[in-house]
Amino acid sequence: MAIENRVPHLCLQGVTKRYGGITALNNVDLAVHKGRIHALLGENGAGKSTLIKVVSGVVPRDSGRITLNDREIAFSTPRAANEAGVVCVFQELSLMPHLSVAENISIARPPRRYGLIDTKAQIRLAESLLARIGCADIDPRSRVGELSLSRRQMVEIAKALGKEPELLILDEATSALTHRDVELFFEVLHGLRAQNLSILYVSHRMHEIEILADRLSVFRNGSHVASFDRGEHDEAEIVEMMIGREITTQYPTKPAPKTVPPFLEVSGLSWGNGALRDLSFTAGKGEIVGLGGLDGQGQTQLLLALFGVLKGVTGSVRIGAQAAGINSPQEAKNARDRIAMIPEDRKTEGLMLAMSVADNLISTSLDRVCRGPFISEEKARDTVNEAIRRLRIKIGDPSDPAWTLSGGNQQKVVIAKWLMIEPEIILLNDPTRGIDVGTKQEIYQLLRALADAGATVVMYSSDYDELIGCCDRVEVMYDGRIVATLSGESLTEQALVSHALNLGNGVARSKEMEST
Amino acid sequence: MRITVAKWNSADRPVYIASAFVVLILAVGTIYTLVAQGTATLLSPSYLMQQLQIGSFLGVVAAGMMIVILIGHIDLSVPWTLTTAAMLATAVGGPWAILLGLSLGAVVGLVNGVGVAYLRLPSMIFTLAVNAVLQGSMVAMTGGTSPQSQATELMRFLGAGTLMGIPVALLVWTLVSVCVSTVLTRTPFGRSLYIVGNSEAAAYLSGIPNKRVIVVSFILCGLLTALAGLMLAGYSAKAYQGMGDLYALPAIAAVVIGGANILGGSGKYRGTVAGVLVVVFLNSVLSIMQMSEAIRQIVYGFVILTMLLVYRRKA
Repeated sequence: MAIENRVPHLCLQGVTKRYGGITALNNVDLAVHKGRIHALLGENGAGKSTLIKVVSGVVPRDSGRITLNDREIAFSTPRAANEAGVVCVFQELSLMPHLSVAENISIARPPRRYGLIDTKAQIRLAESLLARIGCADIDPRSRVGELSLSRRQMVEIAKALGKEPELLILDEATSALTHRDVELFFEVLHGLRAQNLSILYVSHRMHEIEILADRLSVFRNGSHVASFDRGEHDEAEIVEMMIGREITTQYPTKPAPKTVPPFLEVSGLSWGNGALRDLSFTAGKGEIVGLGGLDGQGQTQLLLALFGVLKGVTGSVRIGAQAAGINSPQEAKNARDRIAMIPEDRKTEGLMLAMSVADNLISTSLDRVCRGPFISEEKARDTVNEAIRRLRIKIGDPSDPAWTLSGGNQQKVVIAKWLMIEPEIILLNDPTRGIDVGTKQEIYQLLRALADAGATVVMYSSDYDELIGCCDRVEVMYDGRIVATLSGESLTEQALVSHALNLGNGVARSKEMEST
Repeated sequence: MRITVAKWNSADRPVYIASAFVVLILAVGTIYTLVAQGTATLLSPSYLMQQLQIGSFLGVVAAGMMIVILIGHIDLSVPWTLTTAAMLATAVGGPWAILLGLSLGAVVGLVNGVGVAYLRLPSMIFTLAVNAVLQGSMVAMTGGTSPQSQATELMRFLGAGTLMGIPVALLVWTLVSVCVSTVLTRTPFGRSLYIVGNSEAAAYLSGIPNKRVIVVSFILCGLLTALAGLMLAGYSAKAYQGMGDLYALPAIAAVVIGGANILGGSGKYRGTVAGVLVVVFLNSVLSIMQMSEAIRQIVYGFVILTMLLVYRRKA
């Protein structure tokens, strides 16, 4: 191809990075060209994040050569990288929740006037950047902490654009975006590509990569496996390259649709000024019920209400034909029919990152590992080993702190600690966000196995594919209400999307008519 | 637990450093006394016992403070909780003195705990306010002078008595240490303290009764502080104004020198014991060297900062 003859914008030759005894990047070669979107693919731990950190000056490389515009570079700080036009949007949101959107966007270099921060210029800058990414509806004066996760991520992108990048690096930047924001975001990226920026893009969402990327590079175990243009390999081949083994079905097969008696019955549930409005649905033993819809339509609140976190919930929740009456997670955990919840944010709500994996795993079942008033070392060890074995958690030692694990293994720890109480009802809030394909599949299989063993599973997911592949039935939410119940044949991406936008089936059908 | 043994060394590093520092302080002090007086006063058993006896009061306060620090809070009501318990106990006297003193500690702890856990007020502000209220109440009660009432026999025994040559105060501190250490390492409540201190949100969503853990922690801290007050009143034979003033910050310093994270979530009880010894022996060596109070304060502050810097390098 002609493009390969041009000098690449960013070029890596034989780059190696080791952390202690672990080789995170092994002799990696990579070329990124201007005006192209270059996707990095690979499981968690494949080396993508390390590569990004090496390029953007977060960590130094051990050996090898990196050139930008044919000049060798070695950034010592992210700021130095920014000044050379290399800007990175990291997976972990870097915004300060108590500062305003405008303050966050220009946090590194606020516009000044007479040596003081010029707040008016700061707001104008934020307005123009937000308008550029189609988010003019975000008020630059509002606090970041008041925005939804999806909107926060858009602010993060605006902040990156404010640094006027030539090479924009996006690490899982869409993991929290709603469908609507993802589309906006794609338009922004296409616009930037047209302005001759080079974009390095990491995502676990295969569909996005197929739509977006011009060129793809696959990594596995710290090594570069292959680079190729879009369309040269199909999805199955790419997945195979990433995991090094063939995966036959992405989702476990669903049982034939059957009617099961309701076990969890929710009727007329409302909370807080319309955040939840008159919700009614049921879930039976052995069913996986999905919650669909755009992000922030009340799915999180519904799960929190069922788990006893929210105060002032009206309506009725019945479990096994008895009023549930659960007022706290502690009551949910100890109820006759035990309830578990895997929360939205594993780093702050799911785990004690600084504590050991073992301590995390027994945190829900402290009373179960006791003999008399004291914790039994033997029971605790058995519980921990059982959890690690059951979810195949990859760890060095149970006494390692939880933050040392990869995202996928961290999520496994969160799920495992809840399975230790043998819950009858399992609530999950977007459990596969930002984790690798292999772990995702393990989680799908686990959920199906739990359902087959008689558990009731209620899961919110921001990934429509997952809802379709995993759930027996999906309740689509819009503005605090359930607007549609989809199952069997009617559970399609088209139906999910149109109901999520509260367009009803009519629109979906008329679109289908148009396209035929 | 066996599975934590693998990380024994890194978690115990502050304990080793603090212990080594105690040895260093004693060595420096001994060299000084050998040169200046020709005797190794510091190493005589009677001197060591006396220092440990004085250190026991701080040790008991620090044990309570550590519990509160582990959950990510702080108790600044210590000075006047200690004083109030001592004053009330000596004022009422008789067989109820100790029970009344301990009850006062528990009630103050309950108030602190409810304020922090249920009213969601920052512990630093709330406990400081409680300290001020207690101080005002005691000044009003005593008219600002030291009360004339005497400590009871039992209080005198706890604070100043000896049993087979060992100060009873030291035995009390040892007993408190065994109990607190067992609670921290072997009970669900102890484990909950670390979990709450690490992430209150994660603890709550794991079904840990957060608020109860916080309230109980403050009650334990109040109880131990009151106990120290009773012992100290026994040691001095009476309660006096400002007797608790020298306990809040040194107790916090001892906990932090022992390696506990001031923001909560990590720390070993052994470390706190070592931290108490550092504070106690540092004070006694500085006074033996006849440094002025001003110099002592400077050295004391400097040592705490240095030790914190040494720990930081690990992280």
